[in-house]
Amino acid sequence: MSHSDTIPLHQSSQSDIDEIENLIHASVQSSSATVLPARPPSPPRASIPISSSPSPSPSPFISSNLPPLPPTNHKVPSVPTAPPPPPLPSSSSRGVAPTGFGPAPNTLTEPVWDTVKRDLSRIVSNLKLVVFPNPYREDPGKALRDWDLWGPFFFIVFLGLALSWSASVKKSEVFAVAFALLAAGAVILTLNVLLLGGHIIFFQSLSLLGYCLFPLDVGAIICMLKDNVILKVIVVSVTLAWSSWAAYPFMSSAVNPRRKALALYPVFLMYVSVGFLIIAID
Amino acid sequence: MASVDLNPTAVENYANPKTCFFHVIFKAASLAFYILSAIFVSNFVIIFVVTVLLAALDFWVVKNVSGRILVGLRWWNEINDLGESVWKFESLDQESLARMNKKDSWLFWWTLYLTAALWIVLAIFSLIRLQADYLLVIGVCLTLSIANIIGFTKCRKDAKQKIQQFASQTIASQFSSTIQSAFSVV
Repeated sequence: MSHSDTIPLHQSSQSDIDEIENLIHASVQSSSATVLPARPPSPPRASIPISSSPSPSPSPFISSNLPPLPPTNHKVPSVPTAPPPPPLPSSSSRGVAPTGFGPAPNTLTEPVWDTVKRDLSRIVSNLKLVVFPNPYREDPGKALRDWDLWGPFFFIVFLGLALSWSASVKKSEVFAVAFALLAAGAVILTLNVLLLGGHIIFFQSLSLLGYCLFPLDVGAIICMLKDNVILKVIVVSVTLAWSSWAAYPFMSSAVNPRRKALALYPVFLMYVSVGFLIIAID
Repeated sequence: MASVDLNPTAVENYANPKTCFFHVIFKAASLAFYILSAIFVSNFVIIFVVTVLLAALDFWVVKNVSGRILVGLRWWNEINDLGESVWKFESLDQESLARMNKKDSWLFWWTLYLTAALWIVLAIFSLIRLQADYLLVIGVCLTLSIANIIGFTKCRKDAKQKIQQFASQTIASQFSSTIQSAFSVV
């Protein structure tokens, strides 16, 4: 993923020795290109082969990446260590894909079940990263690297369903309002951070705010089961604090320290309003 | 006695009928459920949840399964080490792309566009009837359809670009090697 994609294809003439050296370098590089990206928080997953759009050499092609060996006496003292050609795709060193497409990138030909498992494990790992204490919280920018919107989607729908179930009248409106409030709220909060000059990626922030709803989901279920007002207040305050604690490092690191409160206050406000919805529903 | 082959060999069938089926079924199910629910189901929550769930499943299937198998394209978003968001596109190489079943890819693209168009039509109906909550459902489903359309269109353009680049590179390298060998003979 973070391979150097700006290395140009070196086309100038070289001596035979340089060519052979390059071949050796290329094979060493391609074997080391299979190393998973060095991102500790990410769950180990199939390393996505290097075929991103900015790369100058399309990776699935296996044909000549090196200029053919010319039988010359070298004319120009070439660059002492010619930059190695772009690393051959990690997929080619992984062997031929079974469908007969040749050394196609792995994620294109992986079985469907693998994709499902990968996505499910990503949801679980994102949830653990955001909501539960873990050593990677200190580097929040990296922690939610593999954002996905499935988790947030399920949590928002679930919260809407829980609220709607608890309501005795106007169930449909409650659900629609809850869903719209949470979805629009997440979008607006993200825009808020962006407008404050913060550095956050739109989808990453949406994903984060969605995952932080998990504690409130738990609170809503408990309130749904037990209808005691005092219990509800306690449960909601606890889960509210938990949600805010979960969202804090990500939001605060995204903005200028002087604007931290401006970024965090609306988040807190939104969770408080959801909390009130949970308490007030009967 | 000799039998005449009446079928011209050029007619190809769907190469991946199961994938095509799944590609279409979720889209059709979510549209059908939405349209028919107005008659049969009175509870909005159920309509919302089922329709949006089917649309989300369809989004996942198209993005991860049928895009790969029917047209050999894939797109996703990643965040690199610098914290920037990068859109990645993946495509099969040229020979495989050329070998893709034409019917498959025709079905793929046309159902994508058709679904989005139908959702837009339904949105107009909802607007006319001033039903804000149904507009919410349609909004979500439409967003998902359009996201897939944009992602795959960009991916296809990227694949074409890569093929062109590769072609021009091979030509360039052939050219330079020819020159080199010409000079070496001298």
